[in-house]
This record gives sequence, structure tokens and C-alpha cells, in this order.
Amino acid sequence: MRFSSLSIICLGGMSLALAGCGQPPEPLFAPSAKATVLVPAAQSLVSESLVENFGTPNKLVAWQQFPINYGSAEPTASDAGRHDEGWRLREGRNLYMVHCLHCHGVAGDGAGSTSRFLNPRPRDYRQGVFKFKSTAGGMKPSTADLHRTLVEGIPGTYMPSFVLLGQEQIGLLADYVKWLSIRGEFEEKLAGGMGKAGATSEELRKSYKDKRESDKSITYEAVENEILDDIRKELPETLTERAQDLTDDWLAGENPENATFPKAKRVLPDAASIARGRELFLSKDVKCSDCHGPTGRGDGPMTEQFIKITDSDRSYDTPGFRDFWGQPIVPRNLTRGVYRFGRRPIDLYRKVKNGIHGTPMPAISNRVTEEQIWDVVNFVMSLPFGGKESASPGEADRDDGEAKVAEAAGS
Amino acid sequence: MNRFWCLFFVASAVLAVVVFSIGPACGWWFPGVAASPLGQQIDDLFYLILAITGVTFIGVHAVLGYILWKFTGKDGKRADFQHGSHTLEVVWSIVPAGVLLFIALYQMDVWAAFRMKSRFDQEALANPIAEVTARQFEWRIRYPAPGKVLQDTPQPDDLYTVNDLHAPAGKPVVIKLRSEDVLHSFFLPHLRVKQDAVPGLVIPVWFEANEPKAYDLVCAELCGWGHYKMRGQLTAQPQADFDAYMQKLKETQFDDGFKEAAGE
Repeated sequence: MRFSSLSIICLGGMSLALAGCGQPPEPLFAPSAKATVLVPAAQSLVSESLVENFGTPNKLVAWQQFPINYGSAEPTASDAGRHDEGWRLREGRNLYMVHCLHCHGVAGDGAGSTSRFLNPRPRDYRQGVFKFKSTAGGMKPSTADLHRTLVEGIPGTYMPSFVLLGQEQIGLLADYVKWLSIRGEFEEKLAGGMGKAGATSEELRKSYKDKRESDKSITYEAVENEILDDIRKELPETLTERAQDLTDDWLAGENPENATFPKAKRVLPDAASIARGRELFLSKDVKCSDCHGPTGRGDGPMTEQFIKITDSDRSYDTPGFRDFWGQPIVPRNLTRGVYRFGRRPIDLYRKVKNGIHGTPMPAISNRVTEEQIWDVVNFVMSLPFGGKESASPGEADRDDGEAKVAEAAGS
Repeated sequence: MNRFWCLFFVASAVLAVVVFSIGPACGWWFPGVAASPLGQQIDDLFYLILAITGVTFIGVHAVLGYILWKFTGKDGKRADFQHGSHTLEVVWSIVPAGVLLFIALYQMDVWAAFRMKSRFDQEALANPIAEVTARQFEWRIRYPAPGKVLQDTPQPDDLYTVNDLHAPAGKPVVIKLRSEDVLHSFFLPHLRVKQDAVPGLVIPVWFEANEPKAYDLVCAELCGWGHYKMRGQLTAQPQADFDAYMQKLKETQFDDGFKEAAGE
């Protein structure tokens, strides 16, 4: 008896091993939370439009409307709305599936299988919000910015450097990420618009209740159809508009004129500049220390605040900042010398000047001059070295600096 | 059937010997030819041990095959059972112990050259080219400014890269190895260099690349889910190119973005 059951188990195990675990499930672009709250009919409108214009992970659709190099046949002005498939998009997807998917997820929603172990969480591209970019405010990053993030990685996070993939593959990845972001934002905006038009289950129940008070004979279906008919009628126009907005946004991000560059050379990072920067850092105007703390350790008084939840009148029940994605975020400890955006003076300049989109870090006041921004940067870059010396290329420059300080002190 | 096991054991031994002897010729053992002088010595040690174990293996299997062949299938005769032979025990303890002792003494020189700081090239040891910090899942590299000596703590003029280690070729160089989180292992397979990176320790590692070219740098200690991602590259280049590279790195890293705007 024992032997026969053992042999059945063995046989079963062997046949399982021989058969393998079967085909993995087909990858899907998971719908956004904004879409899943809609009524089923509206949901299918969103997903149909997404499949038509962007395809599925296994069968991508390249919408020529967008400023992405898909690698498909050269589009002419007349067929900007043409749908096609591009080899670069496909190759980008293949690379993304190998290198990025397990954190950033199939749809770029930052919900890959390893994401739950990570802090900070991997970026959700679907809102089209990027932190590390050369452009100001809420503008899109340029392809070069995405490229740079892939090459350098993001120190202090789990985002590694992909520098060894080489220029070409990184270019493919950057374009695919851009495409995913456009796809995600398109979905968010489309579904969000439908939600605002009253197509969520919750809103629909509410309006049904309201209408029923005046007209007892009205049915739930009638209310639903009314709203959906409106949405359907406007859908072609909405789609065009959304696509056009996204195209404009990404083109603006790509425009070299929108990249932030300093209008003045970096102020020599001497002791005087560091001292001026420190004054500004602590000043009421610039207020860096409110969050980053007087010593730059990221422990300013604002970190003890309870922050309001966006679109709600409640606050989070633990103190501290939240980022655009609702994740806890702390002001950077500037004494560590770990710079997520890069350690070049220009990188720090851009952060101070533009702030960091998607985080509570604001752009610096307009009243501050270029030289003063450089003073702040010089002070920040001196914090890892006890505020004594700022990071700078070396002996020659520093000698100049010391000479100048001595001169200043002597005169 | 009587001779089956006898032939089986002899055939498998013959196959093993054939594979072992054509292996080195086809370069199966190592990822390419050793690309450093010490790597060559390490390979020589490996082949020495392979030869010793190979001779032992052939001898044992020849005897085994012979005995199987000779005494298989004699009707009505069973094998004798013997227990305890003091002489035999002593012989098969002393002979392997002697072999092991020989290997232990013979390899000491190579071991010392690789691990003992007093045997490092002293000039290279005094001027490490970089500090390599392993972290999940990449190699963060910190170079001293050109003409400066690497300090234990970050300096204002240090230069940084990631995953892309450059070093002068044709002379011994030293890096300081650290880990930011868990155990990693700095492995240059072509140079036969492997050293664990231990959190809390700064370990000097030396290597010398014979030729100016790119070599793989990988992590050889399972360090987490992204272990396979820890691929880096060692670019060995002539001293002049290395200096030029450092100069370029310096310019890039201290770029204030102003010149680009001047063109507008």
C-alpha cells in the first residue's frame, strides 16, 4: 500500500516535471485605478480605445501622432494619425521586459513583482510625472534626461546604472519608457475625464438617487445610458485632444530651449561663497532649512507636520511629507553626499532653481539672483565636507579661492 | 552481463581522462587565457593539481578495472571480507597527506603574492587608483583627483563613476574594496581575481591587466534578487589614455552647464 501511493506520487511528480508548468499567462497592461472605478461600460470604452491606439504588450501599436522614434516607416505630414508598428518600440519592449519590468511593472505602473520590497518605490510613469529632468516645473523630461537616468542610475535608490547596455539599447529603453508614460497618462486622463463626467459607479448611483426624487419612473439604466451617450458622442474629439496635449507636452520637454541652464558661471566655491550660501540656506526668503534642517541633515521642523491628503480634507495619520504618488518622502540629508539627480554643479543648480517636480521641493524664489543660487549650491556641496570646502575640480581652483579669500580678508 | 560493470567503470574513467586532457586545449576550464601574470600562476597551480588528481584517478581506475575484470563471475566463489589492516591505513593516510602538504607549501608563494600586503607592489599600494563600493546592485567607483592620493573618506575633488572601472594596463594597480550593504564579491574572471567585499572592511585588491582592453567585472557572491544585474566592466588602457579619461571625467563632473548656454 505504502509503495503504491509512493509510486503514484513519484509518477505524478515526474509527469508534472515533464509537462512543465505550462505557458505563462499573457502579459497585460493592468488598468489604472482611475479606470477601475468606472462603470463597466465606460471601462470597456477606455480599454477599447487603449487597445486600438496602443495595443497590448504582445502586439504593440505605434501611434505616429507622438514624438517618439518608433523605427517605423517615415511618417508624412498627412498621416500623422497613422497607426503602425515599429521595430524600435518592439525592441525597447523586449529590453524593458528583461531589465525593468520586475520593478516598474508591465504597464510602467511601478507595481512589478519586486516593487513591494523597495523603498523608495519604483516610479509609476503613468501620470507622466518625472523628478529627474532638466526642464522646469511640471514640464516633461527630454529624452536626454531619461537617457541620463538610465546611464547613471539613481544613487540612494534601487535604480541601477545601465551604462553597459550601450547607447543604442539605452536609447530604445528611453523611448519605450516615454511611450509607456504617454500610454499611461492617456489612460489616466481619459478615465479621469469620464469619472468627472459622472461615469464612476459611485457618481452614477448618486445621480440616479437625485433624479429619482423628481421622476419616480426613471430607471438606473436610463441614467447610465444618458451619461454614456454623452461620453460616446464626445469620445473622438476627446481622444484627439488628449493625444494632441500629450504630443505638445512631450515636444515642449524635448525643446532644447526649455532645458534649464545657468545664466552665470558657477561662483568660485570659496569660503566666502559658502558662507553667503549658508546665510541664504537659513534665511526666511529661501527657507531651505525649514525642511532640510539648519545643518542640512534633512530634519527641518516641517518634517514634523501632518500633511493633507490630496483631493481630501483629511490628513495623513503620520507626520512627514508625501510625494506626488502618496509615498512618504524625506528631505534629503545633504551631508551624505549621495545625489540622486547627479553630482555635477549643473544638476544641483537645476534642483535648487526648478525644485523637484512630484515632491514638496519648491523652485527657488525669483528674487534670488543667479550668483546667489550658485552660493546655495556651493554651500550644499560643502555639507558632506563639514561645510569647510565645496566639491570642486581641484587644486588650481581652490588655490585661487584661498588667494581670493586672503585678499578679501587683507583688504 | 558479467563484464558489464567492469567495462562501464573502465569506459567512464577513459572518457573522464579524454575530457580532462582535451579540456585545457579547447579552453574549457577558464574564461579565456589568463590576462594577468598572477592569473597565469594561478592557472599553473590549477593544472598542477589537475595533473596530480588525474594521475591518481587513472591509477585507481586502472586497478579497479583490472580487479573487476579478473575476478568477475567466478562461479561459486564469493569475495573475502577483511577488516582492519594497520599498514594499509597508515599508507593511505600518509600518501595523501604528503600530497596535500606538497600542494599547501607549493602554492604559498602565489597565495602570498595575491593576499599579503607586504608582497604587493608597494608603489601601487601607496597609490590606489580607486575605491570600489559594491552595493545592491551595482559598483560605485570613486577615484582620487588626478595627481592626488585616494583618501579613506570622500574628498571635494574626488571623481565618481558607476560600473565602469578604468585602470592603467601593464602594471599592478590596487583598488580599495568596500560594501555598502551585504556581502558581494569583486570578480575579474579573466584576471583570475576574486575578493569578497565585506561590510565594514576596506580590502585592498591588486591586479594587473596584460593588455589594454575591456574585461568583465561581475559579482561572485549571491547578494540578493538583483545579483545578476551587478555586471561591471574593467577597461584597462595605456597610462596616457587613462590620464585622458580621468581628465574628461573631471570636466564632466564639474560641469556647471554655463558654456553650453553661452552658445545661445
